[in-house]
Amino acid sequence: MLITTPVRERSQRELAYALMLPFMAAIGLVHLVLVLLSVILTANLVGVPMLALSVMAARGLGTANRRLSRAWAGVRVPDPGPFRAGPGLLNRLGAALGDVTGWRAVIHSLLRLPAAVVACAAAAGLWGGGLLLLGCPLWGQSSAMAHLSPPGWPVAALVSAAGLALLLLAPWGLHLALAPERMLARTLLGPGPGDTRIRRLEQARALAAEDAVARLRRIERDLHDGTAARLVTLAMSLGMAQDELEQADQPERLQRARVLVDSAHRSAKETVAELRDLIRGIHPPALDQGLEVALATLTARSPIPARFEADLPERPAPAIEAIAYFCTTELLANVVKHSGARHAAIEVRVRDGLLTLRVRDDGTGGAAIGTGSGLRGLAARVQTLDGMIDIHSPAGGPTVITVELPPHI
Amino acid sequence: MRIVIAEDAVMLREGLCMLLTSRDHEVVAAVGDGDALLAAVAEHGPDIAVVDVRMPPSHTDEGLRAAIQIRRDHPSVGVLVFSQYIETRYAAQLLAGGAHGVGYLLKERVADVKDFLAALDRIAAGQTVLDPEVVTQIMGASRRTETLGTLTPREREVLAMMAEGRSNNAIAVALFLSYGSVEKHVTQIFTKLGLSPSDNDHRRVLAVLRYLQA
Repeated sequence: MLITTPVRERSQRELAYALMLPFMAAIGLVHLVLVLLSVILTANLVGVPMLALSVMAARGLGTANRRLSRAWAGVRVPDPGPFRAGPGLLNRLGAALGDVTGWRAVIHSLLRLPAAVVACAAAAGLWGGGLLLLGCPLWGQSSAMAHLSPPGWPVAALVSAAGLALLLLAPWGLHLALAPERMLARTLLGPGPGDTRIRRLEQARALAAEDAVARLRRIERDLHDGTAARLVTLAMSLGMAQDELEQADQPERLQRARVLVDSAHRSAKETVAELRDLIRGIHPPALDQGLEVALATLTARSPIPARFEADLPERPAPAIEAIAYFCTTELLANVVKHSGARHAAIEVRVRDGLLTLRVRDDGTGGAAIGTGSGLRGLAARVQTLDGMIDIHSPAGGPTVITVELPPHI
Repeated sequence: MRIVIAEDAVMLREGLCMLLTSRDHEVVAAVGDGDALLAAVAEHGPDIAVVDVRMPPSHTDEGLRAAIQIRRDHPSVGVLVFSQYIETRYAAQLLAGGAHGVGYLLKERVADVKDFLAALDRIAAGQTVLDPEVVTQIMGASRRTETLGTLTPREREVLAMMAEGRSNNAIAVALFLSYGSVEKHVTQIFTKLGLSPSDNDHRRVLAVLRYLQA
């Protein structure tokens, strides 16, 4: 194992990285001098565009360093966000001067100097020194080394053996010595903390927008295929009845009109019921009296007996209430449809600034995101408000699904 | 008349069947999607097909596409496209292949049973029936079109009413004009739109179609 290490791929790459380091560090150093010069020159304005250019160059340098450390030093670091600026030169100038990614790359150039020295020294000492000592018996051949040549072969053999040991240890040593380099690349060349947050928010925003569109589309579909179709049928029945009533003196036409009016009457009542369901789907009126009332109503209507417990000392924000309500309807519907459970329990509480909603059932389990249970959509919707969803559903059950949300946005 | 109905809402489909059969028409097929409609038309060769625009599987415009295909493949079959909303783009596509035996109506028009049946008769006889709503939208939307540019605002007003199916008399009353001047405007419109006098009655519809195709 120890013998094969030197030829292993990683150590070869790391050695190559260590050999490249002096050049990268030197370029970084030149760039640092430029940055410093620009900062000094900002006093007479020439430095301002210079500084902006330096920061942009730092971005480029950071990208190069990131790629090298990824390819040769095995550092896993994601790309930071792209450079963003409004139109116009001034906007670009301002954005460049305030570019966090660029400035982080500048800091990286500065801090990596000692790290590079450590790594280069380790590479030179371990690999170079090892090779040098290993070649001890040959020192006599070179005129420059002749006077260092050991007096006898036993000593020479000993020195050679020490060189071999050093070479065998070199891969581990270099890997260790590159640790600061790796750490710096990981912390300073990847996306900044703000970047990560922005990316998460962007994803959440996209999800929220898609969700809104999907919801509107569903409501439109329900209105179009359900309510509107029913109303057209109703109008048609009444129209036909009207037509029949024009000759109401004929008993069989009067009878037909009566049948038509009956059917229209039925149709009208069905439409009202359907509209009520639709309205409840858009915004349940019960939510106006708070989440607790709404969930109590919901669980009372559940086809599977459901226990309900609430501990809500304060009312969450309306948007949170709505989303908690919809989570519960979806989860309860899943229980009814998929779990085969005989009992369900719903708990909702706000404690320590966190709203926790828990839906349990004694069904067969096996609930997971992406099994057509709508949990993916639910998770997406919860995430848009910085919440999270935890699904615990081993095969054979029971299932416990926990949704956590901030009580206020 | 022999009729094929394509409508995906079961209730409405059945209602239509009932209405049409009670008026001594024969509903030879009642289907719920575009492919079935095309098959039914090919099989039965009806006098007219009543087609809902939005049907499964995509619930967008498969009915319209099927209607256009029927007009291309079976020119003798009249087509009434039937929708819950009016899209002038749809009307334009539908009429692109000519205005013979075609109609585009809002679904709620079925409530006025006599008008609806009359519309079916007219389409089957090769005439054109457009919903007043289509006309309103086109008049609102095509202000920029070249043909319309040649009309004076007053002529445009007259055309809008004409296209809604009002008689010259009714237009005169609504616009506080004399019957004679309405007639003059109408003639002027026909001339500007290049409609020859031989077309006679049909010219009123054709005038509207000019806009659709502009």
